[in-house]
Amino acid sequence: MAAAEHQWPEDADGRVPYWVYTDKDVYQKELEKIWYGPHWLYAALECEIPNPGDYKTTTLGEKPVIVVRDEDGEVRVVENRCAHRGLKLCQNRHGNESDFVCPYHQWSFDLKGNLLGVPFRRGVKGQGGMPKDFDPKENGLNKLNVEVVNGVVWASFDHNLPPFREYVGERFWKHYTRVYDGRKLELLGYNRQHIPGNWKLMQENIKDPYHAGLLHVFFVTFGLFRADQKSAVDIDDEGRNAILISRKGEKEQNEVTGDLRQFQSDLQLSDPRILDVVHEFPGEETVGMITMFPSVILQQQTNSLSTRQIVPKGPGGFDFHWTHWTYADDTEEMKLRRTRQANLFGPAGLVSADDGEVIEFAQQGFAASEEQAAVVTMGGREKDPTDHMVTEAAIRGMYGYWRKVMGYE
Amino acid sequence: MSKTDAAAMAEVSAFYLRYYDALDEMRLEEWPEFFLEDCLYRVVSRENYEQGLRLSTIYAESRGMLKDRVVGLRKTQVYAPRYYRRFPSPALIRSSDDESIKAEHNLLIAQTMQDKQSDIVLSARCYDTLVQTDDGLMIESREVVYDSEMIPNSLIYPA
Repeated sequence: MAAAEHQWPEDADGRVPYWVYTDKDVYQKELEKIWYGPHWLYAALECEIPNPGDYKTTTLGEKPVIVVRDEDGEVRVVENRCAHRGLKLCQNRHGNESDFVCPYHQWSFDLKGNLLGVPFRRGVKGQGGMPKDFDPKENGLNKLNVEVVNGVVWASFDHNLPPFREYVGERFWKHYTRVYDGRKLELLGYNRQHIPGNWKLMQENIKDPYHAGLLHVFFVTFGLFRADQKSAVDIDDEGRNAILISRKGEKEQNEVTGDLRQFQSDLQLSDPRILDVVHEFPGEETVGMITMFPSVILQQQTNSLSTRQIVPKGPGGFDFHWTHWTYADDTEEMKLRRTRQANLFGPAGLVSADDGEVIEFAQQGFAASEEQAAVVTMGGREKDPTDHMVTEAAIRGMYGYWRKVMGYE
Repeated sequence: MSKTDAAAMAEVSAFYLRYYDALDEMRLEEWPEFFLEDCLYRVVSRENYEQGLRLSTIYAESRGMLKDRVVGLRKTQVYAPRYYRRFPSPALIRSSDDESIKAEHNLLIAQTMQDKQSDIVLSARCYDTLVQTDDGLMIESREVVYDSEMIPNSLIYPA
């Protein structure tokens, strides 16, 4: 069914139709309007490319890009696509180069993406060569809009969007700088998994505190995240970005755990070092999970810090790239603590593996029933920030914004 | 090959037969018992391993942490039903002395889910240090370094 034929359900803020997760035309339109549109996309951590010439390759939307630090120390993001015949010219995950040379015909580009050289441009023995009107200045790599914000490299295909701070707004600037406070970051490492579900389901998962206290028995059992804990959902004025904030409690049994069918009151950890949590950020909150639409989740789950980058791969799946980090000035003890707590996250995470699995189950449910719709009325139909967890407000906020961008109003 | 080498190889190979049998047959509670109380267990991407990055996909520093993994699998985690079958290559003994043996082998883990064809969840090389104890060989450290660039959704059971 073509995108134009779909109707958004009458209960506009209470339902999300399954076709948003399955339709190829809708997905193509998302790439254009959202991924290649006016949004800051997560590209890298600055500490991945500390020196001039250092680069890493990644994918924004479906487009391969190179994130590189040029000779002057400035971070650039260019499309990883030769201006000549369109090859993905750099095949390495990371490295250090003084220029990028396409293997096919050896066109070379400097670290800013400018075309440096075209072999035989003037021909050989007076024969062939590029025409006189060939202008190297017009045949560089496609350069993206870039802003480095407290250690994170943000990029956009749109050159007219507001600077990052203005884009996220002052409330979210405060949320962002709570963890990304300007201290130098250091890389701990990567996890990569392919999740066979629509990319938006990952955003929804972290905009949905309702599930966290039910699906994740490990969280609840050991008091890391529970429905009765002091918590909040903040949503930006556009509805696109959100944060789940929560305060860790103790292991206990009460009316909330009574509602949880699989609560395991008798469980004990043999080695509790995995939950050796220390308080480190201002305020009482121990969890701050920011969903930056559409490309990333900025995770602060107790002492585990990571960026979780979403790379869409068609309507039915996405690659999920986890980059765990630590502050460069952390003690060895703290680095080890973060490494231990990472056991809760990633493709083998005691908590996060649950999410990948249920996202796959969701996609299995949607696939054959495109015109059905999901219910998102937990906590009402409002899309406003709340001070509790029993809500789907941030999901409603995201779809309010999505409909505006995609033209389903 | 001396007789001692042959004896060591036979012992190591018998050890791995028991190890992988326990896992393939889902006797997960036996799994931590192959390790010393004070041990290291990592499942780590080759990318992290070769760059010296410490982040692991699974990281345990004691038999207790391995037991906690099993408790998670049995009691708290949510995942679709599946079979894992592990295909280790014969082990290569890199070095050995009276106390310990450094052994390496390749490991392929096939995953089969309902209504689906089997696929490979992990293609890895295992770097193990085995030690002689009164109860026979035990694992002091095991690093499962996987080539696999993209895990097909979840890595549920141990390697």
